[in-house]
Amino acid sequence: MNPLIFTTILMTVLLGTMIVMMSSHWLMIWIGFEMNLLAIIPILMKKYNPRTMEASTKYFLTQATASMLLMMAIIINLMHSGQWTITKVFNPTASIIMTSALAMKLGLTPFHFWVPEVTQGISLTSGLILLTWQKLAPMSILYQISPSINLNILLTMAVLSILVGGWGGLNQTQLRKIMAYSSIAHMGWMTAVLVYNPTLTMLNMLIYIMMTLTMFMLFIHSSSTTMLSLSHTWNKTPLTTTLILITLLSMGGLPPLSGFMPKWMIIQELTKNSSIILPTLMAIMALLNLYFYMRLTYSTSLTMFPSTNNMKMKWQFETKRITLLPPLIVMSSLLLPLTPMLSILD
Amino acid sequence: MALVHKLLNGTCILRKCPKPSVASYPFLGTRFADYCSSSLQKPAPVPGKASSQRKTEGDLQGHHQRDVALDITCPEEKPEVSFDKAIKDELKNHFWRLKDDIVNRWIGPEGRPLHEVLLEQARVVWKFRGKEDLDKWIVTSDKTIGGRSEAFLKMGKNNQSALLYGTLSSDTPQDGESSRSGYCAMISRIPRGPFERKRSYDWSQFNTLYLRVRGDGRPWMVNIREDTDIIQRKNQMYSYFMFTRGGPYWQDVKIPFSKFFFSNQGRIRDAQYQLLLDKFWRLGSPRSRCLHIWCLVSVHFLACSQPPSCCILMAEREQVLVFLLIKALIPS
Repeated sequence: MNPLIFTTILMTVLLGTMIVMMSSHWLMIWIGFEMNLLAIIPILMKKYNPRTMEASTKYFLTQATASMLLMMAIIINLMHSGQWTITKVFNPTASIIMTSALAMKLGLTPFHFWVPEVTQGISLTSGLILLTWQKLAPMSILYQISPSINLNILLTMAVLSILVGGWGGLNQTQLRKIMAYSSIAHMGWMTAVLVYNPTLTMLNMLIYIMMTLTMFMLFIHSSSTTMLSLSHTWNKTPLTTTLILITLLSMGGLPPLSGFMPKWMIIQELTKNSSIILPTLMAIMALLNLYFYMRLTYSTSLTMFPSTNNMKMKWQFETKRITLLPPLIVMSSLLLPLTPMLSILD
Repeated sequence: MALVHKLLNGTCILRKCPKPSVASYPFLGTRFADYCSSSLQKPAPVPGKASSQRKTEGDLQGHHQRDVALDITCPEEKPEVSFDKAIKDELKNHFWRLKDDIVNRWIGPEGRPLHEVLLEQARVVWKFRGKEDLDKWIVTSDKTIGGRSEAFLKMGKNNQSALLYGTLSSDTPQDGESSRSGYCAMISRIPRGPFERKRSYDWSQFNTLYLRVRGDGRPWMVNIREDTDIIQRKNQMYSYFMFTRGGPYWQDVKIPFSKFFFSNQGRIRDAQYQLLLDKFWRLGSPRSRCLHIWCLVSVHFLACSQPPSCCILMAEREQVLVFLLIKALIPS
């Protein structure tokens, strides 16, 4: 793609998300979503093949449907409140429709079916943008309307997302699908605490983005899209193998790594609000995610998988240099000791 | 659709009646034919009422069900219609498969442990050892569009292979639209899960298609289709040639997936793309472009493998050579 055109499209994606996050007018928020959607499509199809085209089509259809629902909710809210400003949504119908629309944009259950299909069909770089940057805009709107969201619906979607994210990722050998189901589960954790303490949602989002960025960059570094090809990284870069181990365990929420922090904070916040069964269920279902992360670490880092001759072909390719990889690895694994600083968020 | 089929077959499910022809119910799916074939029994031959269409068991071993006569009437017993039992059996079957699906999910991908899936270097996907293996394939010819070609699939000798045989005719159907005709093919069925959910094969750790065949000396084509949800992609496929030697010895054909070229509606596209193997859907082997001839090929098994010597992702140069070869084959 022409660098100038690519830069323009990328700036449009950034601008769309910024407009959504900074606007207080519902129409501008909707415009920001649409700008973001239309600009991300050529980025998803950057490496064109029929599968990429299909994935982009699926993404466009689901996001356009969600935008349509969002507009309907905005108009219903306008009819009842008489204003376009984003404040508490008074009408319960508008609130439910808005929640559904944003859940569809985020990929929460039961609107999660597009996430693995789209992520699998696009390149690693596009998948990285899809699972990190594209989550910011809808999450920011959820943050702003959190006081008026129906708690039962949100918690149901959250718990189901954690379950589906764990169950769906169990038998995957494709790395992008594993990351997609991981994204669904993490979105579930974020939305579970949204009504009780929205700040923890933002913390979870930040740490999730860091960990996902790290994982994708490690996959791009080793040019791996399947579990089998990742299990041969010991052959070329043994250090990357160790870093994959640390990052995966952090994503699984194991202490003393960074990924443990949001889970700990969320469980603590839920129990403070007299909710015992819900965090117990969430912690148990998170074990499903941990199981397939552990399987990935077992085949990648803890064992030296036998390699056939054609795997040594990777030696002939130049190693991609990724500048941000070292700081991202440090942040996604060593931030737990900074947890006491979170008291400034209160 | 399930209810209609059950109602229509209600008289045949519990009684010893001839199998209904699959061709009579073209819209009701082959799953129901499987159900019928699993529970029906053939009647004892009534003297003086043998149908001219009935052939001996040896000749029709694995022959398509459409040759079974429908004009044989049942004995004096009244047919019992048990719609509820049929529905219950069907639901029980699907829920049983769902339970297996859930249990297999704990074991690993496709019900096998993960290390087994990651370490395997060859996998036999289709082999022909019995009638149930034949049911995994669909045999078709241009008869569906009004042509005169015919193709059949039956078990070979000793139940170790399948035999695809028939006649090819290039007589065009007289419909005013078709200018060319003459093909026959055997196509694998789409893998289905519980409640007829569409599935696909994940062959991403393999790089070669391995077939053991014994042909008639003529070129065949091997087509691969990817799983897709978009109707615009339904005619897209990846193809390559398979040149058979004509026997009597078995021929091992190894085709790297990188050699397959991309086509849409039978026309090769200028832009070629890599065949992605994580959503493999159907494999087909058509034969076409002949005068009125007899065609024959035996298939022992079809597998996928990962030979250490093959490591090309997409062979662009070879695509060009294949393109030229196609031009030579098509008669002017």
